[in-house]
Amino acid sequence: MSEAVPPSPGSPASVRLTAPFRLRDGEAMAARIVVAAGLSLLSAALLVALSGHSPLAAFGAMALGSVGSPHQIGVGLNRATPYLLAGSGVAICFRAGVINIGAEGQIALGGTGAAAVALAWPSGASALSALAALIGAAAFGALWAGLATAIHLGRWVHEVLATLLLNFVALLLVQQALAGPLGQFGAGFLQSPQLPAESWLWKAPEFNAHVGFLIALAAAAALSVVLWRTPFGFAVRVAGQSRPAAAYAGFSMPAMTWGVMLLAGALAGLAGGVEVLGVHHRLIEGFSLGFGFKAVTVALLGALEPLAVVPASLFVGLLEAGSLSMQRQIGVPSAVVVIEGVTMLFVLAATARRT
Amino acid sequence: MIDFLAAAVRIATPLLLAALGGILSERAGVFAVGLEGMMLMGAFTAVVGAWASDSSFIGVVLALVGGAAIGLVVGVVAVRYRADNMVTGLTANIMAIGLTSYLLRVLAGGGKPIAIHLSPLAPWPVPGLADLPVVGPLLFPPLTYLAALGCVALDLFLRHTQAGLTLRATGENPEAAFASGAAPLRVRMLAVIACGAIAGLGGAVLSLQQIGTFTDGMTGGRGYLALASLIVARWSPLAAALACLAFGAAEAFELRLQTFGVPVSSYVVQMAPYLIALAVLAGLGRSSKMPASIGRPLPWDR
Amino acid sequence: MSALLEMRGIVRCYGAVRANDGVDLEVRSGEILGLLGENGSGKSTLMKVLFGMTPADEGAIIFRGRALAGHKPADAMEAGIAMIHQHFMLIEAMTIVENVMLGWRDAGRILKRGETAARVSEASRRLGLDLDPQALVADLPLGRRQRVEILKAVLRDAELMILDEPTSNLAPTEVADLLSILRRLRAEGKGIIFISHKLPEVLDVCDRVVVLRKGRVSGRAPIRDVSKAELAEMMVGRDVTAPHERRALASGAVRLDVAGLVGPRVGPVSFAVRGGEILGVAGVDGNGQMELAESLAGLRRPSAGSILLDGQDILSASVAARVAAGMAYMPADRSSTALAPGLTIADNLMLRDSRRPPYARGVFLAPGSLQQRARQLMREYDIRAPGPQTRAARLSGGNQQKIVVARELARKPAALIAHQPAWGLDPGATRFVLEQVLALRAAGAAIVYFSSELEEVLDISDRIAVMANGGFAGVTTRAEADIKMIGLWMSGRAA
Repeated sequence: MSEAVPPSPGSPASVRLTAPFRLRDGEAMAARIVVAAGLSLLSAALLVALSGHSPLAAFGAMALGSVGSPHQIGVGLNRATPYLLAGSGVAICFRAGVINIGAEGQIALGGTGAAAVALAWPSGASALSALAALIGAAAFGALWAGLATAIHLGRWVHEVLATLLLNFVALLLVQQALAGPLGQFGAGFLQSPQLPAESWLWKAPEFNAHVGFLIALAAAAALSVVLWRTPFGFAVRVAGQSRPAAAYAGFSMPAMTWGVMLLAGALAGLAGGVEVLGVHHRLIEGFSLGFGFKAVTVALLGALEPLAVVPASLFVGLLEAGSLSMQRQIGVPSAVVVIEGVTMLFVLAATARRT
Repeated sequence: MIDFLAAAVRIATPLLLAALGGILSERAGVFAVGLEGMMLMGAFTAVVGAWASDSSFIGVVLALVGGAAIGLVVGVVAVRYRADNMVTGLTANIMAIGLTSYLLRVLAGGGKPIAIHLSPLAPWPVPGLADLPVVGPLLFPPLTYLAALGCVALDLFLRHTQAGLTLRATGENPEAAFASGAAPLRVRMLAVIACGAIAGLGGAVLSLQQIGTFTDGMTGGRGYLALASLIVARWSPLAAALACLAFGAAEAFELRLQTFGVPVSSYVVQMAPYLIALAVLAGLGRSSKMPASIGRPLPWDR
Repeated sequence: MSALLEMRGIVRCYGAVRANDGVDLEVRSGEILGLLGENGSGKSTLMKVLFGMTPADEGAIIFRGRALAGHKPADAMEAGIAMIHQHFMLIEAMTIVENVMLGWRDAGRILKRGETAARVSEASRRLGLDLDPQALVADLPLGRRQRVEILKAVLRDAELMILDEPTSNLAPTEVADLLSILRRLRAEGKGIIFISHKLPEVLDVCDRVVVLRKGRVSGRAPIRDVSKAELAEMMVGRDVTAPHERRALASGAVRLDVAGLVGPRVGPVSFAVRGGEILGVAGVDGNGQMELAESLAGLRRPSAGSILLDGQDILSASVAARVAAGMAYMPADRSSTALAPGLTIADNLMLRDSRRPPYARGVFLAPGSLQQRARQLMREYDIRAPGPQTRAARLSGGNQQKIVVARELARKPAALIAHQPAWGLDPGATRFVLEQVLALRAAGAAIVYFSSELEEVLDISDRIAVMANGGFAGVTTRAEADIKMIGLWMSGRAA
């Protein structure tokens, strides 16, 4: 099947394809990710051992801390929610070969949008304020992603650079908003006044998890449907395989880029909104630090499939909840960030396409 | 005024070192998104090394080692395994933040971070240079000399040596570089490791030379700022020095504004470097002088 | 003069294909040897073997009295062999001097810019290259860039220079300049291998000529002893298959009407194809076939002209609109343009039709219908695979092409543009593809069939056009096709 045939005459060997982000194909992908996860577990054990504690005890405490009680599970779910939302959006982008790393800024602005709407919402229509705030969050996020797309498509700036640089601008904009119109006078640090209670996301009583997780699940499911059951999703999958094939199939790359970027931006914005409305009940400076990059992690762990991003985000969310507990119980300093980073690096190495 | 210049130079020095490292990496064809992590690791290993060995020289050497280690990780994953440059760099940054914080606490054995207090590096007034009217006193801190020297050295290296030529060729057209006898994989790996080392030195400027201790995430985004400045400088070392100085001056200016109570928002000023970088990129558009093959994985196993 | 280079009994196989089948070659100092052949004749492979880019399976190479074996390009360069590639290996963002200095030990660890620039100027003057050392390669036209490659070879004291299709990117005046440069190099005692399919140039500048066909030497002679016609015959062969069974000539209306089509590297081209007719486009690859095919299919925008399909002007129609109007396209690049390799067979079968029934119903795809249709098509077109969910990349070349054929032809298109549809296929798969194309012809479609295999074109076409230098050098019918004439058209000049 793979005889060495001289390359076909029309092969674009001399045509420089834009190099989209492509994962290796194949059924072995899941196996590779598992191997990568295994290696990172080993590194985690090593790190814990470095601190002089027993890895087994530490992992035990972590497990208890993640799923040991409904309350803890709730914490884990809450932490997983923004990763799931933003991660599935990033997954769709990467699937199309559009490397969007602007989730960090889109989440931050989304949260700002939610806070702004919630604070400005007339108290008469209070029943709808949460919904309106979430819509505002999604809109802000989509807007920011749209800005990056316009710069990328309009002025030929690499989409990675555009989204990356705009992250920092977004974070500063949020700080500016908190220092200005959205801020709370007299508070020691940058934060908004507490949002009206009607806009808070509903929380299951003992569970401690807010309804945001369900929203995220619904979004991931919807995204999966889009990816696998609509012509648009099909176009995304083709483009991620090969740009020439997408052109041949009659798909327009610019239109597709707008589509996936706005979608991802809206989802990231929603993630910010959920965090603000569900966890903090106010806009806090730096509430979203690191979320955007974790979204990328989670998207890759889920091999760019929205439904697989669910377990991936749960894994990361529960891991974080558990690690806090591990810190308290056993005294091992929080290594969760390192472990996440190391895991990602192994996953990246395992899944990169060999051109 | 001297104060202001001194502040500008002070802020610019770590940026410049990181930018120089970044230029090496990007000119060879690898996006230098990992600068933040490389700087942070260098900052960490410098302080810990100096504290443990009671010698700031060892600290500086370890800064190089620490940064290079992150460079090696990025090199293996992004160059050897051909993962996406950007995502690898970002991940390395995250990992470095976690790792440094973790190690800081582990070393103390009690889960609390060790409190290391070193005195900042003593200035070295070099006889002839120290007497220069304005510039002299600014150069005192030893690592600042290194930054200035490094800037000139990198420029000479890139433009006047065979090795520098090969490095640039690898970033522009690895196939042509290969056809002329170079080994693109090795060149990129070495470039990324060297980038790490130099950026690590930039971190040491912060922790060892200026502050005297290490705190979690102390680079605070300077690595990304360095990336922005090397883009604005269009990948030229000498221009990068100017760009970093300009950003340093802007921040020094902003600090002064605050003391004078002028109502220009500090956040807006902080945004400026990123907006300028974006504007430069947008202005360059298609004719950007980015190395032509940057970010593209090497297509064969050489 | 003793032989500078001797290649004896070179054999190189790619799987089942014997690209070089026992080739002998000899070059002397101060001589220009022409190496002629069509695509697939083995000349590129032979040079890759010589230059060390690929190893020979059998045979020996002796250069300047020493054997060369298991060598890499760096070793070949060291020994004194230089290759001027068809796709230049230059750094566009650097100056000529910098490109010359790259990888050149003589330029020193600390680059000796001034000295090298002086040597560049001197060599440029001596050979009439007209190159300014400080010029940026990006600013040079293609003809000049080629000279930089030659300059590099000369400065590195190459004794043997291989030029692979050097004139394919040059304008006529640049060609004349190049040939005079080669004459100067010959006068300095260099040996030159000049690979080309363009007879006029070969006759102009070479001393001897060797012709390859299907991996073997089909003829060799001193230039003064051969004529154009004889060379053409040696290139395309005497043993053309006997004329095929008579077929009814198309009498349908013109379905595809192209007038004055112009684009970069192609045109002006005009032709008309009737329903039930196959227009074969022969010619050596690289003469504008890709550009023409893509312009017809909608992947490239021509700058002028018109394309009428069943009377409708589709020149500015998008790819999707052309598919809807009834134009089918089989691209030459099977593995990553015609197919999305990581997707399933079923997905690939709906690649270009995903928005329309039966594959889509309203906003959603209809996977049930897709699977059903895929299974049906797999049966009809004999696509051998475990099932419609198999990834396309796992299939053999022949089966992959069947997917493309199934997809494009099942639509019952009004017109088909087929570009190298049988490339790299075994005889069975090739026969299948040809049969399908003929069936489409019988159904009344207008077909344009590009191929660099002349026999294949002669086999299947009703009329034959020969493409050279971006345009049709000549058009003839199957009955009147004359091999010698076609060979001459292919080599770039009407008789």
